[in-house]
Amino acid sequence: MRFVFNRLGKRELVTSLMVLIFIGLFILPFVVVTVKSFSVGWRFPELLPQAYSLNGWRNIFGDPSLKESIVTTLKVGFYVVLLNLLLSLPAAKVLSTYSFKGKSMIETFLLSPILIPGILLAMGLQFTMIQFGLADQVSGVVLVHLIPTLPYAIRIMRAGYERLGIALGEQASVLGAGPFIRFFTLSLPLLLPSIRSLMLLTFVISLGQYALTAIIGGGNVITLPLLYYPYFSSSNEAVVAGFSILFALLPLLFIGGVEILLRLVIRAVNRV
Amino acid sequence: MNGQNGFLNNKKRVVFNLLPALAATLLLVGYGMWSAIAQSFQSVDGEWTMASYLELFNSLAFFHSLKLTFRVAILSTLLALVIGLVMTRMLYQFFRDSSSKVLVWIPILIPHFVAGYLVYLFFSQSGLFSSLFYQLGVLDHRAEFPVLVQEKFGIGMILTYVWKEVPFVILMLLPVYYEIDHRYSEVVRTLGGNKWDVFRSVELPWLLPVMVETGLILIAFIASAFEIPYLLGVTRPEMLSVRAYEWFYDGDWSKRPLAFSAMILPGVMALLLAIFCIGAVQKHRLRMIKGRNR
Amino acid sequence: MKLKFMICMVALFFIVACGNNDRSTSSNEEVLDKDWDEIVKTTEGSKVNLFMWGGDEGINQYIDDWATPHLKEKYGITLKRQPMNTEEFMQKLLTEKKANKRNGTIDVIWINGANFKNAKQADLLFGSFSKKLPHFQNYIGTDNQIALFDQGTKIDGLEAPWGNVQYVFYYNSTHVDHPPSTLEELKQWIHDHPGKFTYPNVSDFTGNTFVKHLLVKGVGEKSALMAEEYSKEVIQSGEEYVWSYLEEIKPDLWREGETYPESLTKLDTLYNQGEVWMTMGFNEARAESLIENGTFPKSTKSFILKDPGSISNTHYLSIPFNSPNPEGAMTVINFLESPEAQIAKMDPAMWGEGTVLNFNKLDKADQEQIKNLNRGDSVLSTELLSNNQLPDLDTGYTEWINNEWAKRIFEQ
Repeated sequence: MRFVFNRLGKRELVTSLMVLIFIGLFILPFVVVTVKSFSVGWRFPELLPQAYSLNGWRNIFGDPSLKESIVTTLKVGFYVVLLNLLLSLPAAKVLSTYSFKGKSMIETFLLSPILIPGILLAMGLQFTMIQFGLADQVSGVVLVHLIPTLPYAIRIMRAGYERLGIALGEQASVLGAGPFIRFFTLSLPLLLPSIRSLMLLTFVISLGQYALTAIIGGGNVITLPLLYYPYFSSSNEAVVAGFSILFALLPLLFIGGVEILLRLVIRAVNRV
Repeated sequence: MNGQNGFLNNKKRVVFNLLPALAATLLLVGYGMWSAIAQSFQSVDGEWTMASYLELFNSLAFFHSLKLTFRVAILSTLLALVIGLVMTRMLYQFFRDSSSKVLVWIPILIPHFVAGYLVYLFFSQSGLFSSLFYQLGVLDHRAEFPVLVQEKFGIGMILTYVWKEVPFVILMLLPVYYEIDHRYSEVVRTLGGNKWDVFRSVELPWLLPVMVETGLILIAFIASAFEIPYLLGVTRPEMLSVRAYEWFYDGDWSKRPLAFSAMILPGVMALLLAIFCIGAVQKHRLRMIKGRNR
Repeated sequence: MKLKFMICMVALFFIVACGNNDRSTSSNEEVLDKDWDEIVKTTEGSKVNLFMWGGDEGINQYIDDWATPHLKEKYGITLKRQPMNTEEFMQKLLTEKKANKRNGTIDVIWINGANFKNAKQADLLFGSFSKKLPHFQNYIGTDNQIALFDQGTKIDGLEAPWGNVQYVFYYNSTHVDHPPSTLEELKQWIHDHPGKFTYPNVSDFTGNTFVKHLLVKGVGEKSALMAEEYSKEVIQSGEEYVWSYLEEIKPDLWREGETYPESLTKLDTLYNQGEVWMTMGFNEARAESLIENGTFPKSTKSFILKDPGSISNTHYLSIPFNSPNPEGAMTVINFLESPEAQIAKMDPAMWGEGTVLNFNKLDKADQEQIKNLNRGDSVLSTELLSNNQLPDLDTGYTEWINNEWAKRIFEQ
């Protein structure tokens, strides 16, 4: 122990202090929510609950639509992530490499979905979606989930490409590699951190959408927030807390699964 | 070789690559916005009228709401940016290692309304801090605990947004810090510059575009989000989003155009602000990219 | 590669768009002309979507754990509860009407009051179906007041009553020995206990109804008219009392009336935390399940104001214009109005709310069962509740309170 302290310089001390502050501020409150989900009637001025029970969790897992809604949520999230990747990769590449007239207008335009209140767009789109038969369908929900996610996806990938630099791509093309191979052997591994962030962020955002899903999904596409939001107006705080934890765990599970898949793909590509 | 026929090639490539994303955005935003604007100018019977906008501008309560909305949005954004920047500067070495990066992600995973609920849990007069001070004997009664949530200035809301957005700012700024060539910092120091000089001349040019973009996203989001003001705001003045929501879901359907127009206004303002800021930053960014790829 | 991608995108759109081919349905009139036995017969094995607000565990439990299995067993119908806020499915129906979508997704909706008025005006409902239901005919009857008017709107058979609740106040008996029994006593109590009382914002239905009680008191004898129509003159005779009462109690309210809880849930939380000592709301039995799960303190009791009385509220089930399975919807609604289903609904372990069935029309065994039902210690006696019952007011008064309240309380 003393050995560790002796080795720490002033700079390291400040860093570790900051890390502790960060954890205290942003991670510890989460522990409180966990305790809350097991508590019964935790009131002022008690610092810890007087009684614990599993009732909150029993309520959550007792909902007959829970399983179905988790499946729907994962399905919607998966398609949203996929569509975001497909749309943002080419756009981000161009935006990071080329400069052209009207670029800032295009950038603003691509950012506009998150600058305009989402509920406004959803209310406006509802009519059109019904006419096209997209309302009440998973596909329609996936499409409107592009509103709050696509701008972030493009932004993240763009930063990824900028870091990659153009030089790298040119080198490979001189060496005679086609665009496809170039992407899988060179860009993809280097872009991986960005892709990972993209998937996590777009999934989290998609997971949190209540209004968009409710308006376009019309109660037919039941994702977790649709189950959860009504309970938020319940005065049973254990249920509210339990659902909050479920919400944070889902993206972690999702990203874990995707991580394994990604590693497998890369290993396969490298072997070829 | 790339130089001769490059221009046309590039132009085509730009268009082809951007088209899917642009089409999707146009479809969603263009259609949605057009339809929303149309509904804001229509009465319930389908007549075209300016009435909803006139009513908004003639109402003092609307301006109080607008003022509060701006105050909360701007203060939260600025505070989140500054705190996020300071934390990133101090922690980027630590977060370089990808397993510790998970720490930044965890607060991002928590939905906004849960954040609002947490702030309520800790800072209300019956909250955990109030309980703690009571147990410590600092307070004799919970009413002595300062009113931090559900008060007119919006402290509770600002606190929630800052808490929720600081990790977001860190996440946006971290990649930039890894990009900065820190050898320049050494140069500045050798030339006798202090920490501030290093920040201003080496880091700021890299940070500015991302900070502007992050700030825009935050301001626009906070100005239109509903959950946190609903949980932590006061009855009057209320945030614009709460007012719009009440109008949307009022039993009286004749108020729907009002709701649309009350939401369109901040949306349009955010768009204009974005066009202005991104245009200004673009010039700056262009200079940088050219410099780097020389 | 990009071309391929574009083609994929276009294809995706088409696949999705084509997946939604319309099934043909018989017109609404044809369904309503059918014999009841025929209606029930055609519904076996079908699916019925019930759209309703989903924020109460007790209510959800009643539907999921009691009604759904019973319907399956008796009629072979699969009842699917879809949690959605009333405003949202109303908005959905309105837009579907505009887009002329004939084949919808909702079979049964849970509505009343202003929502019913809007739905009726916008022609969003299936048709006059309630008289077809045997249980409605036998136990409620077409001439029953709750089957004629829903907060001042003529029902015309477009919806069928489902439940009936009364407005009561709840208090913590460890802090309050003698609860007030008139509005004047309540005012005095608030004055004597500053900061321990508040009511929800009037955009919340519970808060709005609190103010309605003041209006009824202010209007006095003419208040009987208020259930049937909205009139400015009636308001003029009562508004003075409403605003001066609210002004007088304001400085003694929680947080000196600077802010009001946005919803009943928030008031309940304040009550739960002990910041205030009283809460209120529709459903005379709602405290039972909350006490049981620890949300409310065990010492919670209820009271009503004998002067002016306690406003009652009836809520209804209805069928939207584009229901894909209206026969199934009618069978489900008829079942939910059966004595069996209504008595199960009164069980405080689940929902605990009052029945809409006319007690005198029930057979002896059912009457006995209701009499012997223990609704819980926090619920007042049936006699006391029904002796002080007031009808709900026309929705016009709800809107009037909504529009005037903020002006009077915050912006004079």
